[in-house]
Amino acid sequence: MENSVLIRLRPLDKTIPVPAGTPLANALFAEGVEFPCGGRGRCKGCRVRVLEGRLPAFPGERRLLGDSRVNAGWRLSCRHRAESDLTLELAQWEAAVLGDNTDFIFSPRPGCGIAVDVGTTTLVAQLVDLENGNVLAVRSGLNRQARFGADLMSRIEFSMTFEGRTTLTNLIRKQLAELVRDLLAAAGPEKAERVNRMILVGNTAMHHLFGGLNTEPLSRYPFETQATGTLRFDAGRLGWNGLPAGCPVVFLPCIGGFVGSDILAGLLAVGFDRREKPGVFLDLGTNGEVVVGNRSRMVCASTAAGPAFEGARITMGMRASTGAIAEVVPCAKSWRCRVIGDVDPRGICGSGLVDAVAAGLDLGMILPNGRFAHGGKNWVLSSPVQLHQCDIRELQLAKGAIAAGAKILMRANDIRPRNLTDVFMAGAFGNYLRLDSALRIGLLPFPDKALRPSGNTALLGAKISLFAENPESACESLRKRVVHVSLSQDPGFQDTFVEEMTFPGKPATSRASPPEKAEKL
Amino acid sequence: MSEWTKLYDAVLNGDADTARSVTDEALAAGTDPQTLVNDYMIPAMDEVGRRFEANDFFVPELLIAARAMKGALGKIRPLLTASGVKPKGRVVLGTVKGDLHDIGKNLVAAMLEGGGFEVIDLGVDVSAEKFIEAIRDESADIVAMSALLTTTMPSMKNTIEALNEAGVRGNVKIMIGGAPITREYAEEIGADSYGDSAATAVGIARKLVAS
Ligand code: B12
Repeated sequence: MENSVLIRLRPLDKTIPVPAGTPLANALFAEGVEFPCGGRGRCKGCRVRVLEGRLPAFPGERRLLGDSRVNAGWRLSCRHRAESDLTLELAQWEAAVLGDNTDFIFSPRPGCGIAVDVGTTTLVAQLVDLENGNVLAVRSGLNRQARFGADLMSRIEFSMTFEGRTTLTNLIRKQLAELVRDLLAAAGPEKAERVNRMILVGNTAMHHLFGGLNTEPLSRYPFETQATGTLRFDAGRLGWNGLPAGCPVVFLPCIGGFVGSDILAGLLAVGFDRREKPGVFLDLGTNGEVVVGNRSRMVCASTAAGPAFEGARITMGMRASTGAIAEVVPCAKSWRCRVIGDVDPRGICGSGLVDAVAAGLDLGMILPNGRFAHGGKNWVLSSPVQLHQCDIRELQLAKGAIAAGAKILMRANDIRPRNLTDVFMAGAFGNYLRLDSALRIGLLPFPDKALRPSGNTALLGAKISLFAENPESACESLRKRVVHVSLSQDPGFQDTFVEEMTFPGKPATSRASPPEKAEKL
Repeated sequence: MSEWTKLYDAVLNGDADTARSVTDEALAAGTDPQTLVNDYMIPAMDEVGRRFEANDFFVPELLIAARAMKGALGKIRPLLTASGVKPKGRVVLGTVKGDLHDIGKNLVAAMLEGGGFEVIDLGVDVSAEKFIEAIRDESADIVAMSALLTTTMPSMKNTIEALNEAGVRGNVKIMIGGAPITREYAEEIGADSYGDSAATAVGIARKLVAS
């Protein structure tokens, strides 16, 4: 390579050669670094520290990052180019991906199928033998669209720029094509030939971007889009040559502007569509969706919690990866931290944050109003990692939004929390977050015995759909029973939200027995 | 001047009942309403703002303090109007077109009122036309806009452009805020000021009317 320079990444211990002048964003994105605001220099999420080499700060960088950070070598990687050799420390690491291996009941069908959960952050795909339900191969990856905005709104914003939408549509189709190719290669030619359907689920923006549809209506009030229906493609037309010609590629329909087929699939996965008794379905992602009701009527809302549970917008926040404090347990009058990878701690992830606040409440170090009891501004959890007062505030907003959303929906539908027998929790709940701590901080306004961590229900639901006689009509009929309500229209939101920002004063009754497994289907 | 510190304490602690009853008592005792506002209520809300800024207070504390302040102000305002007392300035405030997030905006409104401003709250999803109309009808000194979505930030820019076209931009100062807003963005779109919290909004508004 003419005039190439080397970028060494710490602590990954990886060296990548790139042509001089390559934008760092391009080089680092290929290594899994995310750009939460889409490389606009707004969020500071992509910061790197220059350990060796020269990377002069750009005008305004001092103001964005602060003098001390810039002097310590921190830079916003989205705004720099690699002009000479560099050694960089990355502030973030790879995301954890949630697969699914839950048992479920199915009627065998001939052939094989592919189920994909198209997440904003991660993609997970499984190749399934439809005759016996065996998962033959699994592949996952970070959604490459994240290069243009990690959160949904930034991505939608980018898709509205010139050629933005085409860029994102092409990216996702190409990445899915690669996932499919890898799945087929892993399963072998004999199985590959037998694939006869592929089902995708995801939120409304993922649905629109996969289909190449206009995302502009998703960018502002009233967030309503007409194009919520099933998307149906022919593998050949998409140019996905590994799949047998004529194999349908189906993206299941959305419920509304912010609630997609990932939630529909989730409802199928936990059997919500067959329940007589009232229940609750919660999906804790950045957007936190809540569904309440039973088989005949389901009411759904998205609660916009924000990314605090993923460790974002937290002073020393990070993803659940090496070096993150993932657990904080009170013991005697003190506490213990568990760090992922048994290394020195360098940050705190969502589960650690929720644990820390729960422990702080139990130890009397944090008051129910969120203040540190002794008036301090931070709490050293395990040097050098600290929990700051503003981090607790961030958690109060996220937790308040989810708890308020759930309470408002239950109230409006005459569901008494204490009568609930099943609260299905998809995504991070129970998988990353400890239920005891979530209960302690008042994130889950439900009886503890009703809590059912349910894993990646979107993927499971997509898999279940592979076995349906007609997956589209099954989903369409479910969709007709789900009503989407917007919490912004609720005049009581502010009061309930503010109430729910406060932490419960007394420890919630400790849970007598571990939660039962999600009921088998 | 420490006679009615009970009013100061009631507002600071968000005790709406006491705030109202002390106000009644003070007015009955012939205290000048203007004195109650300037010497007790505004200082109390300033202290609320300081504590919010320092992260000692959070949204709930600020809201209950604002409620207590409003309760007392409700009794005082008619007297002030009757005696022709002018507010520190008139602020037209709203969440911009396409956005329905209003909690931050409501806090800003409360702090500004507590700071002695008259606030005309246009609500949420406020179009440029509505802002323009309000500027004309209310002869406002300041326009304050809030946005919580990155996708509705451009509505601020559009509104400022529309104010220019309508020829009313020169009549008002513009301040903007909301979680995704930055100082750079305010400069870029030609707003006069940016505030990162409801507490700083008051100081900014004071500066804007003074200039
Ligand atoms: C509460 C909330 C809601 C409520 C809103 C209720 C209401 N009546 O306002 C509900 C649930 C309805 C909602 C809906 C949506 N939300 Co919302 N919401 C939030 C949440 C949790 C808190 C916002 C809040 O109230 N903060 C507290 C207030 C006090 O803070 P603030 O608004 O920043 O205001 C302070 C300062 O900024 C400043 N300030 C504010 N305005 C002004 C103005 C001036 C002039 C000045 C000087 C200062 C100033 O003063 C305030 C006090 O200090 C945030 C996430 C989070 N954790 O922050 C998401 C968030 C803002 N929402 C988000 C989204 C995407 C949405 C939805 C589009 C999608 C959805 N999931 O449903 C809808 C759209 C609603 C709409 N039509 O506009 C995103 C925005 C992401 C982005 N990149 O733009 C966020 C960040 C969550 C996320 N997913 O990451 N949301």
